[in-house]
Amino acid sequence: MNEDLRQLIESRLESEGLAQKNWVGAVFAAGDGRTALEAFLDSGKLPAKAAAASASDKRPGAFLTSLAVQGFRGVGPSQMLSVTPGPGLTLVVGRNGSGKSSFAEALEVLFTGDSKRWADRSKIWQEGWRNLHHAHPTTIDADMLLEGQGAMKISAAWDATAPLDSPNVVVQPKGKPKTSLEALGWNSALVSYRPFLSYNELGSMLDEGPSRLYDALSLVLGLEDLVQAQDALAKARAERQKAWKLVDEQREEIVEVLKQFLEQDSDKRASRALDALTSKNWGLVELQKLLDSSDVSSDDQEVTVLNRALLLETPDPERIKKAATGLRAADAQVKKVAGTDADRARKLALLLEQAMKFHESHAGGDGPVCGTKRAIGVSWAKQTRQEIDRLKALAAESEAAHRGAEETRSQAVALIASAPDALLTQLFNIGVDGLDVARAAWKEWHAGTTLTDLKGLADHLEKKHEAFTDAIERLKKGAAARLKKIEDRWKPLAEAIAIWLPDAKKAARGMQDMPRIKAGEDWLKGAGADIRDQRFAPIADQAMATWQFLRQNSNVELGRIELAGARTSRHVTLDVTVDGVRGAALGVMSQGELHALALSLFLPRATLSESPFRFVVIDDPVQSMDPARVDGLARALAAVAKTRQVIVFTHDERLPDAVRRLDINATILSVTRRPKSVVELRTALDPVRAHIEDALALVHTTELPKDVLQRLVPGFCRAALEASFTHVVRRRGLATGKSHADIEDDLKNAGKTTTLAALAFYGDKDRGSDVMGRLNQFGTWAGDTFRACKDGAHEATATDLNLLIKDTEKLALRVIAEVK
Amino acid sequence: MDGRAMLIVARDLLERPDPYTAGIWPRASALLARHALEAALDDLWRRRAPGLERCSMRAQLLCLPAYLPADVDLATRTSFAWTGLSRASHHHAYELPPAAIELSTWIEVVEQLTGRLERM
Repeated sequence: MNEDLRQLIESRLESEGLAQKNWVGAVFAAGDGRTALEAFLDSGKLPAKAAAASASDKRPGAFLTSLAVQGFRGVGPSQMLSVTPGPGLTLVVGRNGSGKSSFAEALEVLFTGDSKRWADRSKIWQEGWRNLHHAHPTTIDADMLLEGQGAMKISAAWDATAPLDSPNVVVQPKGKPKTSLEALGWNSALVSYRPFLSYNELGSMLDEGPSRLYDALSLVLGLEDLVQAQDALAKARAERQKAWKLVDEQREEIVEVLKQFLEQDSDKRASRALDALTSKNWGLVELQKLLDSSDVSSDDQEVTVLNRALLLETPDPERIKKAATGLRAADAQVKKVAGTDADRARKLALLLEQAMKFHESHAGGDGPVCGTKRAIGVSWAKQTRQEIDRLKALAAESEAAHRGAEETRSQAVALIASAPDALLTQLFNIGVDGLDVARAAWKEWHAGTTLTDLKGLADHLEKKHEAFTDAIERLKKGAAARLKKIEDRWKPLAEAIAIWLPDAKKAARGMQDMPRIKAGEDWLKGAGADIRDQRFAPIADQAMATWQFLRQNSNVELGRIELAGARTSRHVTLDVTVDGVRGAALGVMSQGELHALALSLFLPRATLSESPFRFVVIDDPVQSMDPARVDGLARALAAVAKTRQVIVFTHDERLPDAVRRLDINATILSVTRRPKSVVELRTALDPVRAHIEDALALVHTTELPKDVLQRLVPGFCRAALEASFTHVVRRRGLATGKSHADIEDDLKNAGKTTTLAALAFYGDKDRGSDVMGRLNQFGTWAGDTFRACKDGAHEATATDLNLLIKDTEKLALRVIAEVK
Repeated sequence: MDGRAMLIVARDLLERPDPYTAGIWPRASALLARHALEAALDDLWRRRAPGLERCSMRAQLLCLPAYLPADVDLATRTSFAWTGLSRASHHHAYELPPAAIELSTWIEVVEQLTGRLERM
């Protein structure tokens, strides 16, 4: 932010008692641009003040001494335009195509690298800047005079293939090291104060839209930093709001996904994330914690159930095989003892033992039961003892087989666990794949526990085990898949949150700056407009003063000019009153009036004291102006020329004529252009003098043969006389309040020499027959001279040409002096 | 000096860069070309319509097409060129000398006219 503006703002804040506010720094930082503003908001530190900020105030004023142009646009061989370096008015007069505009453009190109009038044209046009008749080189040299510093030369030369915008530019102050336009501080000054005003530019200034006009006018106010500050603050605010809005939209998307997730699966992490995201400040800290602790597993019911399902076990096939073998072996044992009635054998053995005991105590005798004589004897006893032992062994074997069978069976049944009904029901509620099959398989498997047949049980184990194992494995796979699915759904969610979180944190941090940004912005909106108005007031005043010169007979009144609005709505308010009706649009103004208005607006800008340029170049301001307004223009230019070097290029004689008539001190140069772009510049005198000088030059300085001169010189003399008559007619007309237009009509209608003389002498072009009489009042020489000029313009005369010129001059001067 | 000689000088003034005639040449060249034009017509009338040479140029130019039935266009252009040359040789308020290209066109018309009338 430039020092001027900084001080202005500081004192303003001080007087409003706002200097200590926390947003003040933001305003100053914003004046240095967006980057500085962000740095301030980040660190709270203000950028260092620019040291050379006020150096620009000491720029010396520059006047133009001469401009030499070669091979550029309409100028072929080198031609130099010399002007007096200092305040004053210089008119350069030449027909369209005479090359005069080429000088104006050359100066502009030399200084700015482009000419406004070409900027919007096609490429072909821009490529036609080299003179057609003068192949390489193209050079433009300007001699300048810097106030208090002396001479300086600015030269631009183009290589044969160089485009318009890349000449070799040398800026050489006399007796000092080379410098550059940049170093002189002219680059920005050329934009702000733009000392070049062309017809096209003036024409477009009011058409280019309100913001362009605003920009063009406000640049000189040195308030770019103010605009920059407003821009930077507005952008900082908008970008923060945008970033906030964006992360909020993303947040809503994540919330939506989380809700969908939680509808299908429950997950404590997701619930925590959802709670955080839907809390007032988005629970950014909580979210970060959630993401940081990656081991946070879900201790959620569903996951627990699924994890328990994963722990389900099926018997080892080896054990099943062993059990089946055992069962079959036990069965074989049982089969083997089948048919032997262990009980009967045991009872019989018991009976026999009792019989033996009886016999021992009651030796000999008959069979007590069957009564067989002598049945019980020693041999019986021996036999019976053997029988008892056999029966006892038989019973023990059968008992062992049965005991073994029982044991083997219960071992086998122990392998068949009963179904975990509670778990299966939970799994059913969750809906895990393979549950139905598993349930059925389990039921079938468990049916084995009711089997008593050992072989059947062995078969059951062998047959059903695989199906059961498969079903349970499938169920576990289903549960595992289910768990993975829950993990898989959470993972992208976690990733989305992880991606979103830094942006959200940044946006949230950004939003913390908002109060300061907004406060600064609000304050600037009001203060900026005030400062701007304050600065613009003198320019507006001068513009209105210039308009007073230029309006001449115009029914358009220009009231207050104001810069209004800001940013995209910025515009220039022109309080235009037409025929007393206020608020009229620019559309009702004529082309000439618009040009005059544009000139009124931009002449003050080009001539501000802050500008390093003491010259202003105006190209063809007269186009589409009527003669009365040209008088006003001449006065306005004369006013500016008191303190500035004003160089005006114009395509006809109206402005020089007005300048002469109004006795405005001015140098008038005329430009003519011969074929092949040979441009000639010479000082123009008043018309009578000019024609006389031309005639003298013909006689004295050319090598034309005498008979050619005799045909030419009277023509020039006649023109001198016509000029004197014209002068008289116009002077009298204006003195009696006749309008310019009427006078021009009279002159145009008068036409030829005699009728013009009649108009001058009598105010009546039809009194041509009285002309000779009036002339002879000056002396007969006067009538003779008049006739010689008139006739000689048509056929060769034998008159003494030097005498003719002398008498013509005498007559013309007397006409001007004596005919009232 | 005849019309052809005047035309040569007129063209020379126009085309040859010469510091002595800088700024003077437009009016000088126009004057000579006009002299040549008027001389050519003068010659024509003396041969074909004696007396017409004393009439105004306006009248002479109006009569010209009748004497150039096969070349009415040249007559029209002659009239146009004379008006331009005449304006250039008088003093006119606010008006600057003609541009080189205009002058060149007018001189060319006079050259054609001179050549055409010589063959009649």
